[in-house]
Amino acid sequence: MVTRLTTPQKVLAYSLLILLALFILFPIYFMGITSLKTVRDIYRVPSLLPINPTLQNYEQLIGTWKFLDAIKNSVIVAGLTTIISVFISSLAAYSLVRLKYRFRTWSARLILFSYLTPSSLLFIPLAVIIAQLGLANTHLGLIFVYLTFAAPLSTWLLMGFFRSIPFDLDEQAMVDGATRLGALFRIVLPLSAPGLISCAVFTFTGAWNELLLGLIFITSPELRTVPVQTNYLITGDTVRMGLVMAAAVVSAVPVMVLYFFAQRFVVQGLGAGSVKA
Amino acid sequence: MKPSRLTLAQSDARLGLALVAPVLICLLLLVLYPFVFAVYISFTDRTVGAQVVKFIGFDNFRYIFGQHSFQQSVRNTFILVFFLQAFKLVLGLGIASLLNQAIRGRTFFRGLVLLPWAMPAFVAYLLWKFLYDPTQGGAFNMILGELFGTQLDFLSSKELAMPSVIVASFWRGFPFWVISFLAAMQGISVELYEAAAMDGATAWHRFRHITIPGIQHVVLVITLLSTIWTTNSFENVWLLTQGGPSDATMTFPVLAYFGMQTLRIGEASAVSVAMLPIFTMLAFFAVKLLQKED
Repeated sequence: MVTRLTTPQKVLAYSLLILLALFILFPIYFMGITSLKTVRDIYRVPSLLPINPTLQNYEQLIGTWKFLDAIKNSVIVAGLTTIISVFISSLAAYSLVRLKYRFRTWSARLILFSYLTPSSLLFIPLAVIIAQLGLANTHLGLIFVYLTFAAPLSTWLLMGFFRSIPFDLDEQAMVDGATRLGALFRIVLPLSAPGLISCAVFTFTGAWNELLLGLIFITSPELRTVPVQTNYLITGDTVRMGLVMAAAVVSAVPVMVLYFFAQRFVVQGLGAGSVKA
Repeated sequence: MKPSRLTLAQSDARLGLALVAPVLICLLLLVLYPFVFAVYISFTDRTVGAQVVKFIGFDNFRYIFGQHSFQQSVRNTFILVFFLQAFKLVLGLGIASLLNQAIRGRTFFRGLVLLPWAMPAFVAYLLWKFLYDPTQGGAFNMILGELFGTQLDFLSSKELAMPSVIVASFWRGFPFWVISFLAAMQGISVELYEAAAMDGATAWHRFRHITIPGIQHVVLVITLLSTIWTTNSFENVWLLTQGGPSDATMTFPVLAYFGMQTLRIGEASAVSVAMLPIFTMLAFFAVKLLQKED
């Protein structure tokens, strides 16, 4: 909030905001109405309005394209990645913030370096390594590679949260007879709940959205995740716009709902984590 | 537990290593090792299923540097990143300043800005692929047809393909910048602005001398991180154009993916590894900035 605006400035500001809203909303609106149209209507009766709305595309998506299986696969992969990543990252972050040992600085550096290493650099050797481990074309292999982006980000975020919790609280608990781990699980983790939630949201959405690695590691149709299955909708011989837009709606809704409900926790949590320090 | 003779410091050290070990092992095995491995195989003639792998020095690099696709991909990656980041920076600052004003409906518009970012990237690019559809069914051509009776080949003409990819990538990417800038702007004390206004400073002066210095650290961090991710983004180009028409939008991650499909992974790795110097430089600055933040 800066200074009060004069009337002409207000008119300008609102005009710009309306343009911005159109730029953001028009594509989303188009996705929604196209998903409700038949192929015939899309090309024969071009219109920006929903005409003859039908759920035919959604039925085909679930029937012919077994999209519910893809959703199940994505939930398994993203869910397990989230649980494993948040758990091991909490341990690592606690260790890096609270304990002193020889390789601490190097460990922190490796984590930061990993956070910055893009997957386009790693996907080729990862494919070889995962195959050597016998994990090619398995969900477990995919979960492993997703940890490469999930764990560094979560550890980095949680380190910030843990730092903001006074050391005295840990010590108090240990004077009262708790072990280090007891202090972590009973004091530090509960106080970092917003941080844990935001890590979980980032990890889940990251894994839910990931295409490149999924495309490389999953070869069996029945193991495909949502982005991979959607990719095959557009690389086939005939691309059916209505069907693809229905797939887009189905893939986007869970994540957008998650963001909507978690937004409060994430924003609050991030604010608290960085301000309290 | 039997009584131990370790001092507290020693037991802390053991516990510390044990707790950091799972993440560390993951990263050593799945980031550091592949990183080194990528560099190694780019100097070999490795193919998928090959029994014997030979060390061939710089042959892969010499070969790809001579390829038209590779030259195009370096040029395109540079153009894409430069224009995309410039738009996100300038318009991101503009939109964030706009949303930082005392206007009604601010909260609503802030929520709105988040929408494209909350959408999975692959969904956003599929959506834009159909907005750009060359037939009457595509939204943009529908509108162009109604208004001007003409149609454009947004993704399949050499001139328009790259600008189209840039606009779509901007739509998906700008919210992250706006929200980060906005958060930083709200950290600046209101009194500074009030004092400046009393001294008769114009809006531009206030922006230049109060807002910019107040948010410059955040701007630098966001620009660096986003540049690393944008340089390596695969989904936008892959889903919109697959690098076409005739390499007009080919970027190096897409070229590497194509290379992998031919199973000549030595060569394909060389494509990624050739970009390593730029990535290392960006990462180096990013690490400096992020560690300063602590």
